[in-house]
Amino acid sequence: MSNIRTAFARGKAFIPFITCGDPDLETTAAVVRAAAENGADLIELGIPFSDPTAEGPVIQGANLRALAGGVTTDKIFALVRELRRDVTVPLVFMTYANVVFSYGAERFLSACAEIGVDGLILPDLPFEEKEEFLPQCRANGVDLISLVAPTSENRIAMIAREAEGFLYIVSSLGVTGTRSEIKTDLASIVRVARAHTEIPCAIGFGISTPEQARAMAAVADGAIVGSAIIKLLAHYGRDAAPHVGAYVKSMKDAVSRA
Amino acid sequence: MTKIKLCGLTRRRDIEAANRLAPEYVGFVFAPKSRRYVAPERAAELKGLLSPGVAAVGVFVNEPPENVAALLRRGVIDLAQLHGNEDGDYIARLRALTDKPIIQAFRVRGARDAAAAEASAADHILLDSGAGSGAAFDWGLLDGLQRRRGGGAAFPLRRGRELRHRDRRRQGRGKNGGVCMRREKEDGSMTNQKGRFGVHGGQYIPETLMNAVIELEAAYERCKDDPSFNAELETLLNEYAGRPSRLYFAEKMTRELGGARIYLKREDLNHTGAHKINNVLGQALLAKRMGKTRLIAETGAGQHGVATATAAALMGMECVVFMGEEDTRRQALNVYRMRLLGAEVVPVKTGTATLKDAVSEAMREWTSRIDDTHYCLGSVMGPHPFPTIVRDFQAVISREIKAQLREKEGRLPDAVIACVGGGSNAIGSFYHFIGEKSVRLIGCEAAGRGVDTFETAATMAVGRVGIFHGMKSYFCQDEFGQIAPVYSISAGLDYPGVGPEHAWLRDIGRAEYVPVTDEEAVCAFEYLARTEGIIPAIESAHAVACARRLAPEMAKEQIVVVTISGRGDKDCAAVARYRGEDLHE
Repeated sequence: MSNIRTAFARGKAFIPFITCGDPDLETTAAVVRAAAENGADLIELGIPFSDPTAEGPVIQGANLRALAGGVTTDKIFALVRELRRDVTVPLVFMTYANVVFSYGAERFLSACAEIGVDGLILPDLPFEEKEEFLPQCRANGVDLISLVAPTSENRIAMIAREAEGFLYIVSSLGVTGTRSEIKTDLASIVRVARAHTEIPCAIGFGISTPEQARAMAAVADGAIVGSAIIKLLAHYGRDAAPHVGAYVKSMKDAVSRA
Repeated sequence: MTKIKLCGLTRRRDIEAANRLAPEYVGFVFAPKSRRYVAPERAAELKGLLSPGVAAVGVFVNEPPENVAALLRRGVIDLAQLHGNEDGDYIARLRALTDKPIIQAFRVRGARDAAAAEASAADHILLDSGAGSGAAFDWGLLDGLQRRRGGGAAFPLRRGRELRHRDRRRQGRGKNGGVCMRREKEDGSMTNQKGRFGVHGGQYIPETLMNAVIELEAAYERCKDDPSFNAELETLLNEYAGRPSRLYFAEKMTRELGGARIYLKREDLNHTGAHKINNVLGQALLAKRMGKTRLIAETGAGQHGVATATAAALMGMECVVFMGEEDTRRQALNVYRMRLLGAEVVPVKTGTATLKDAVSEAMREWTSRIDDTHYCLGSVMGPHPFPTIVRDFQAVISREIKAQLREKEGRLPDAVIACVGGGSNAIGSFYHFIGEKSVRLIGCEAAGRGVDTFETAATMAVGRVGIFHGMKSYFCQDEFGQIAPVYSISAGLDYPGVGPEHAWLRDIGRAEYVPVTDEEAVCAFEYLARTEGIIPAIESAHAVACARRLAPEMAKEQIVVVTISGRGDKDCAAVARYRGEDLHE
């Protein structure tokens, strides 16, 4: 069983996303620990990319702040190695294909395995292109996470059948960012997915409030939140850890009630 | 660029592994004494199983040239590699029998061996410490070695971390595995698979857009051979856009430069003032047939934005154009033209606020509104099928050049020169000549302040392979894959990547890509205005600059075609600023 499954073993999962190095790596370390201590079941660590085409303005800003601060893939590997001395929740990297390709897929994924990263999410790597990195992911025991979108329709079954770790269900059209309401018929998407896979389904994009998180967790196995956390980081900067901790606690409580 | 060759393949499962790993080359050993010997019939069978993107090299030891040429002719192998005592005479005899690339192998034990290799008449040399033992020799012996004709040299690779993955797949082969690392380009025989140009291309986009590009591909497949679609497009191109564009003999320029005869392909005379309209009319018609009512587009110099706004106005569609904020300042006139045509222009403030950011923002917009919206991509880039669709719509340029030159000169040109940002006017100018090996194809990249500075956009000169904006191709990037900020005086060439078909044409050595600086482009801009009374777009001026370098070195009976992709009115203020003069219109 992949380590990611353990994130879903204690009821509905809450999955926060944090861009590494925003505003600096010390803050990222503190925020990751605060999230883990306050009930995060799995943590998505963003490796910043210069041109994150799937992100809205909030996470774009985090990417640019982190890069401006001099963060690199190697420094993030060192951060995770250090975090893994005490942080045990499953960790996945979220980044863009070129970050992995440029580093060398085998080199990148063997580093993931060595430092204890359990999965990889690449929003610009659809089903048709996953062979680019899948062999290296498999060889190193890292789950390559698949995404389905509101427009996937006839593709959901195909994607779900081969998905690993958990299935990332994109709640809405467009890029990441908080939304006042989510209109997609997610229950239908989850139903089709579950007919073709045993792995958990988590919903992300647009979720910010405990009510939204609870509603999403009610139809799926977990909720993923990025922009709302990045906003806390943008607001509180180096002092963000306790605020993110409190927010994660409120969100975990909400999904647990789902 | 580094290329990989897996050598000594003998079994079906070797080929299967090679197809998975997709090296640039595989090798069949035809030396009977080798324990990796494979009979020609068996090799033919294996070649049939090999992915078309991988070229096969035949390895020979003192084989009669007729036998080598026969295997090349039958397509069992694509290149010949000579490992015996073949001398200059032998290579000349083989050369007379085939035009396929010849590689000669040398054992390098001292500087003299390196010098002998240097003098080889073969297209490429292979340097080895032994007969493919896999051991590395002292690379220091190669210092000062200058290979002529840009031919490549191959070195056995030290088994390092990078190759561990490949090694694992080659179980039990021991150290005679003979994995060779190649440098430089050579004539491969990559096939244009669906959506792939060699290793380049593909569809690296969010899942949200996958059904949209699949739908687009299906619609394009239906329309491209549909007579009514083609008739409608042709009427628009001829009656509305003013095609065919002129192929003008630049007599004065020819005389002044004193070399090849220079023809200018006048895409600047098209309606809206550039080649962009060719593609836009095609895509707008396609979008209409798909039931879309709204066009979105990115634009750099504003020419593609103006063309899209024009087509939208003509066809009664809504239009939103994304343009880097920096470019809206550089190309204020075009912003006004787009608004005049009824389009909304959205200034993009993120990143470097130039073309790449406009593309990113248009892609983001498309993921949020797909149902009624077609993304009218302006260059031969982005995810499949865009590079193919845009190329096909721009191929009208080379189709016309070929016919017009046949009429005027009764023959093919010796060289075709065009500027390359994403590369749409260049691929349009090259396309019908790709199969005509006598025609040199030259793409001119924007070097900005020089390829040795950070202020450049010459992707082929300074970039490496990466994945961005939906495609695998060459990109300007840092060591961690962060896309580099690029710079050129020309907003239309100011892009950190290049279309995948160009990347492939470069890989196989079919097209050449040369950098041209701001200074050279501005001088060419002024030169063409003065000499022929034609003010070219600053983008096109990069091609003119290259022609000025090249034509004097060519014979008087040779012919060069330069594509003037657009007209330069939009650039007058920027060029004046470059010369220290502030224009207020």
